[in-house]
Amino acid sequence: MMSPRSVALAAALAVALALGLVACESSDAPRPGQRVTQVTAPEDAIDEALMIALGQAKNFHHKAKVYMSDGKPDLAIAAIKSVLAVPFPPGAPEADDVRADARAMLAKLLLAQGQPDAAMSEIDGGLAAATRESFFVANLYTVRGEILEAQATALDGATAPADVTRARELRRQAIVAYDKSIAINSAIQARLMEHR
Amino acid sequence: MTDLPHDPDDDFAVPAPDAASDGAERARAKGFAELIDKVVAGRTPAAVPAEDQALLEVATAIRATMRPIELGSNRRSAIVEAALAMAIDRKGGRVSGASGALPIPITAAPRRRLARVAPWLVAATTSLAAAAALVLWMRDRRPAPAPAPTTAAVAPLPLEERSRPADALIGAIDRAGAGAALDRIDAIYADRLGGFRDRTMQGGRR
Repeated sequence: MMSPRSVALAAALAVALALGLVACESSDAPRPGQRVTQVTAPEDAIDEALMIALGQAKNFHHKAKVYMSDGKPDLAIAAIKSVLAVPFPPGAPEADDVRADARAMLAKLLLAQGQPDAAMSEIDGGLAAATRESFFVANLYTVRGEILEAQATALDGATAPADVTRARELRRQAIVAYDKSIAINSAIQARLMEHR
Repeated sequence: MTDLPHDPDDDFAVPAPDAASDGAERARAKGFAELIDKVVAGRTPAAVPAEDQALLEVATAIRATMRPIELGSNRRSAIVEAALAMAIDRKGGRVSGASGALPIPITAAPRRRLARVAPWLVAATTSLAAAAALVLWMRDRRPAPAPAPTTAAVAPLPLEERSRPADALIGAIDRAGAGAALDRIDAIYADRLGGFRDRTMQGGRR
């Protein structure tokens, strides 16, 4: 018959044995088949997240086109605004380009709806969010010029001196915007040519 | 039906079943009922007439079959202990006497139970310890990410498989095409999809 002391001793030995096994197995030594080197993809690789974001933006643009074809500009504007909310991978250059293009498109739709101030607001938002110069930023300046030109044209029939002055100023700003667009385009074109 | 023949030695001749009871018969019945009550109550008279003794035994037997008598706890324990003592004596080669004294104390039972349970207790403790260690080991291993490689290299990717500005793809946007964002997004998507497929479907360059 085993005494209580013997029972306790046997249990303690069992626990010590189990812990010893665990300690041995927890070592960080490489196991057979474990790789010690790994080739990783660079962070700028095109991945699933980027493709999903681009696919969503593409679909919203198509949706807007359908609404425009159906004579529903308000719904088209809402669809284009949805492009701005598409989550892109952080730091993806495509995100800046797609959003700038959506802002330009949105501004043109708003301008066509007789909302030049709202259109200009979208252009300002796009330019403020730009992190680099691009053809898409240049396009924002182009659309800015169009808005200013349209506002000046709206004052064409005015005879009041203030309106005439205002129209002249708007046209001057439009030219500045176009020139800015041309300058950006030229710089980027030159840079691209250098890399070829 | 005819009456039974009269037995001169029998003062309690059995009357006919349908005969009316007389006073003597009722007195005898009452007396016998009182006798049974005393026996049931445990106050059996010291002397019982021989003719009542036989009837009393029959009545007692009938009552026992109708309602089994349960022994008191003390009496029950005494019987069990006596039986255990007798069995232990026989196993030890001793001849048990008629005395009711127990040869071993009844408190020896718990110690024998502990001896029976001890191996199981050891086995259960060992199993529990092993199971706990196994659970801890698995828990530490499962959520842990794969060990970091000791050497990491960034694989160079072709330009078309990298996320990059779309200027080279789209080119300068003229004024007439300022609102053609749909065409541009389609072009960007198609180009990036091609790069993504090249990277993921050729194997080994993920």
